[in-house]
Amino acid sequence: MPGHAEKVWLLLVALTGAGAWLGETGEPGWALGLTVAGLIAFKGRLVIDHYMDMADASPPLRRVLHAFVVLVPLLVLASQGFGAAIARLTTIG
Amino acid sequence: MAAAPGQLIHLMPPAVPGAYDRPMTTAALPCHTPPVGRIPGNRGIWVGIFCVLVEFLLLFLVYFIARAHHPEAFRTGPDQLATVAGTTITLLLITSGYGMVKAVAAMRRDRPRACLGWILFAILLGCGYPLVKFIEIRWNVAHGIDGQAGIFYTVYYYLTLNHLVHVSWGILGLLWVAVRTALGVYSSADYGGLEAAAVYWHTTDVIWLIIFPFFYVLR
Repeated sequence: MPGHAEKVWLLLVALTGAGAWLGETGEPGWALGLTVAGLIAFKGRLVIDHYMDMADASPPLRRVLHAFVVLVPLLVLASQGFGAAIARLTTIG
Repeated sequence: MAAAPGQLIHLMPPAVPGAYDRPMTTAALPCHTPPVGRIPGNRGIWVGIFCVLVEFLLLFLVYFIARAHHPEAFRTGPDQLATVAGTTITLLLITSGYGMVKAVAAMRRDRPRACLGWILFAILLGCGYPLVKFIEIRWNVAHGIDGQAGIFYTVYYYLTLNHLVHVSWGILGLLWVAVRTALGVYSSADYGGLEAAAVYWHTTDVIWLIIFPFFYVLR
């Protein structure tokens, strides 16, 4: 019977396998962007809460880490939907 | 007032009337369970971790800006990379991270030998990362994918090699705590240094779990 750490590890392995499959077969578009954003948020949260043991840790530290794995997926979605606008905003001259 | 061995002396009145009626001893305290609201590891490592998070957030912004300016390069770029290399690195890191989870758990139960075994397991798998990266880069170069092959590959090399540097520091940290564990420095009452190395190691996991889809999955 796998323990808690083993279950989290197995879930991370399964999600990595899903990511690799998407890497080989995924078509560009919103579906892939949303899936990748979800995978980053979920896998990041698994490592933070269960590997780093942050679930009971200092709330400010935990919030910063949680915010990090929410912010990056949001940036993935922003670059998916507003690539042209980002390019305009970041063009010099 | 004389106290029995192991008995706590109350200097303040109880917050709840009658809370002290039942004698409280240190034997009743959950000595191996970390307290809620604590700082895992030590404060110093968290300064380093936040620096790493800020650094990679800036590098990720570079990735997104480059992607916005060169959508076609980022759409076709992952096709040329070896997904198996990125997947293998991911599996090595999350399994190595699992090893450090078990190492910290073993030390909390005062099992230093088991703890050392798990740290060595984590180091062994962690060292697989630079090895796979070396093979991957050789394969890339053999297929014409070097740092000048295009914007996607420039950002890919910049981000992944930067991450490799941080992983190398993490491996050195794990070697350090392995030596200290072997010397019997840590115990269930004092394992802050061990946990600090573990949380840094897990931070490199979190960063890689973001980098992997950026270059091998997202189009």
